[in-house]
Amino acid sequence: MHEQQQQQTQYEPKIVAFLCKWCSSAGSDLAGVSRIQYPANATPITVMCSGSVSPQYILSAFNKGADGVLVSGCHIGDCHYMEGNYYARRKLYMVSELLQFIGVEPERFRMSWVSAAEGTKYAKVVRDFVEDLRHLGPQDKLKAQRP
Amino acid sequence: MINLQELRTRARDLLTKGEVRAVVGYRRGSRGMAAEPVVITRPEEAAQLVWDPSCVHNLALYLVEDRKLLKHRRQTPDKPIAIVAKGCDARAIVVLLQENYFKREEVYILGVSCEETGVFSDQKLMRRFGVNSQALTDARFDGTDYVVTSAEGEQRCAAREVMAERCLECRQPFPKVNDVVLGEEKARTLEAPFAALGRFEQTANTQVARWDFWKRQFDRCIRCFACRSVCPMCYCEECIVDSITFTVAPDTTAEEKANRVRWIQRSATGSENIGYHMTRALHLAGRCIDCGECERVCPVHIPLRLLNTKLERDAREKFGYEPGASIEVASLVSSFRDDDPNDFIR
Ligand code: SF4
Ligand code: SF4
Repeated sequence: MHEQQQQQTQYEPKIVAFLCKWCSSAGSDLAGVSRIQYPANATPITVMCSGSVSPQYILSAFNKGADGVLVSGCHIGDCHYMEGNYYARRKLYMVSELLQFIGVEPERFRMSWVSAAEGTKYAKVVRDFVEDLRHLGPQDKLKAQRP
Repeated sequence: MINLQELRTRARDLLTKGEVRAVVGYRRGSRGMAAEPVVITRPEEAAQLVWDPSCVHNLALYLVEDRKLLKHRRQTPDKPIAIVAKGCDARAIVVLLQENYFKREEVYILGVSCEETGVFSDQKLMRRFGVNSQALTDARFDGTDYVVTSAEGEQRCAAREVMAERCLECRQPFPKVNDVVLGEEKARTLEAPFAALGRFEQTANTQVARWDFWKRQFDRCIRCFACRSVCPMCYCEECIVDSITFTVAPDTTAEEKANRVRWIQRSATGSENIGYHMTRALHLAGRCIDCGECERVCPVHIPLRLLNTKLERDAREKFGYEPGASIEVASLVSSFRDDDPNDFIR
């Protein structure tokens, strides 16, 4: 029991976060400069637009061992490229559905809309995500088992 | 059933008058009644053409092959190519036209309606009669039942016992887009759309059960890529799941080769197979017209239709999108609606 507990506390979920340059990435910066406390588990990758996130990025992140993948962009209506996030929403909805369909835990992939002013929201999204992933434990379904 | 003589006459006339440069159709194979695809270029060959429930192949694939060959030879033909197209083949052609893979005037669609029959599933024939279409000499549809003739003589059975699963669920057995069509626009839906998918979801109704099921399936995939090869929609010259398709020209440097992103390894291991199957399904979202060919050709019987129809149903229910319904509409992933699902986003 003791050992198990120790393992639990040692497990730090790894999150890959694809953040759009104009909103969510700026939002995460704001969380930083405002000195909001939130877990450091998310590796941010800035992309030009949530609409530019290919499903391949998500699959690849899981394949390389991510425990969770986050895609975050501007709120609907606020996309820097007018409609990029509309495409993202449709495309990534299917990714999330398909992953659940084959039995991947639904909590592992999520999307959020975080504006440049929502540092607090970004911190909460990451905090919640880390919390959920902690309960699930490591992701080994899509992870490459390479020798 | 359609009038076979009329089909042959039409094909012959098209070739005699020089209106088309070839006709893609079906002819009798070498064993039993099982049909095989054929491309004919001479009018007298039209007598070979057949149309019956063993015509399972999606011939739209040969339009893609034709295109690739023409491109390779740097030819631009002045005449269209004709194709015998059943409902699903015609829907596949619609998707290819929608994607501008070729132009409408470059293909002559000789539509054939499945009416009430659809095509056989060899697996089901085996189960029912212990033989597949290669051991049958004839099959008729008498309005309700199939009457099949084999060495055992005539036997009858309900259509659903031997029809391909997809045909039971088919909503559109009539080629809507066509230049000429044989047979009537009638249909009977023997199963509700997405019935097989629904049954699967009922049995594997937990996340754990679904994973157990799919892990078993993906683990046995040998990555022969038969499912990709047979798919008319998988026309990419370079396929991201398969590094040997990456273009290597004489002037490609070693560095360029080394730097190509390999999203998915070619090895048939669990994780890479999942990567392949997720990618395949997503690349076919809104494009797959459910001809079921991938599932038919899989040597290890992976139920690929489940993945395809899962996304097809989502597209239909959530986005009001029907693949292969219209040449003019924007494709599923290049369009959106204000009321697309949003509550999965935080
Ligand atoms: S799926 Fe429909 S159109 Fe295609 S062969 Fe079956 S009945 Fe005919
Ligand atoms: S799913 Fe079947 S047909 Fe496709 S690559 Fe795997 S083994 Fe081959």
